Amino acid sequence: MNSRVITPVQASAVGLLACRTCALVMRRTAILTPPMSCPRCAALLHERLPRSGERTLAWLATGVILYIPSNVLPVMYVSGVGGGEESTILSGVLSFWKAGAWDIAALIFTASIAVPATKFLALGLLLWTVRRKSSGARRQRTALYRLVEIIGYWSMLDVVVVALTAALLQFKALGAAEPRLGIVFFCGVVVTTMIAALSFDPRLIWDRGKPR
Amino acid sequence: MADCANSLLVCPQCDVLHRAVLLRTHEIAACIACGAVLARHRSLSIDQLLALTVAAALLFLLANAYPLMVVEVGGMHTEATVWGAALLMLHDWMMWPAAVLALTMFILPLLQIALRLWLLTFARLGRRAPGSRGALVVLHRLRPWSMTEVFLLGALVAIVKLSSWVHVVPGVGIWALASLTILLTILSVIEPRLWWTLS
Repeated sequence: MNSRVITPVQASAVGLLACRTCALVMRRTAILTPPMSCPRCAALLHERLPRSGERTLAWLATGVILYIPSNVLPVMYVSGVGGGEESTILSGVLSFWKAGAWDIAALIFTASIAVPATKFLALGLLLWTVRRKSSGARRQRTALYRLVEIIGYWSMLDVVVVALTAALLQFKALGAAEPRLGIVFFCGVVVTTMIAALSFDPRLIWDRGKPR
Repeated sequence: MADCANSLLVCPQCDVLHRAVLLRTHEIAACIACGAVLARHRSLSIDQLLALTVAAALLFLLANAYPLMVVEVGGMHTEATVWGAALLMLHDWMMWPAAVLALTMFILPLLQIALRLWLLTFARLGRRAPGSRGALVVLHRLRPWSMTEVFLLGALVAIVKLSSWVHVVPGVGIWALASLTILLTILSVIEPRLWWTLS
């Protein structure tokens, strides 16, 4: 279809800079001192997000650490006529599965266990390849970054389910539910991994090893 | 500003330079290098956007004024609203997830709708809204943290979960929440980055 081949040119290679907030494109020579704000929206301008790699790694590591107690500790306590029972995220998935609700089980498994794990692996891979200044599969790696951005907040699902269940099941001896400490850690996983994804600058994927 | 080159578009994900072109109906401008969506054709007029935003504000009101679901056990009943669920958790360690829930499911969506209403009302009058610069930056920053659709799915899962123990009736709130989610998705087609060209 294309009669001519288009060679992509990076804005930074031709002395241009775009504002990440309002998309205004400006000449870099107009910017004298490094902490400079956008003339249109006043947001801080950066060629690349400052210390993006370190920040992403720090938030990601925090998320990985919180992921352990969030899965080991119970997230909810449900009591009824037959006594009480604590449940973890995984045991919640299993009880849906055993009750025949495989679809709900799959949904919670995806949102609460698979999505955070995918984020750890994907962001870890992106950080590693950027550090190696790898030049392969740039388009695919940027798509992976977009995937991480899109799926990020769906992990909040279990926090919503626990909060609503606890709010509604308030019948003392006949049935009561309470949130447990695991949900605090789990919420921490969601927030820290979201900040990790926002701290990562995907433009690093496209940067050449040495300045030309 | 002699240094601005506004027919140019830079991909926020790979820094590749593009020349902006006028988009026709249903057209999407994608980055030639990384495939990121750079711009979409805006098929809705300011009037239509404003009407949808007013509708979203009303649905937000309904979704929070009426219970999402009602549970009945032996003559007793409990109800849940978005902020009611968050308030119930507000003690000890649970205040952290409660605060995150209140922010992402209630305060930020409300702020987003209010800011959009403010900007669109002035755009409709053909004027730049006071404080529009700050409003646009806030809208851009808040975008990833507004989670109405997650709340909807969470509420549906909670209904299924609870129905194995007790009798659950979906309330007016959940229908309003579902409609609100659809409206917010339509409205989110206008990315904050593109708002700058609106006024």
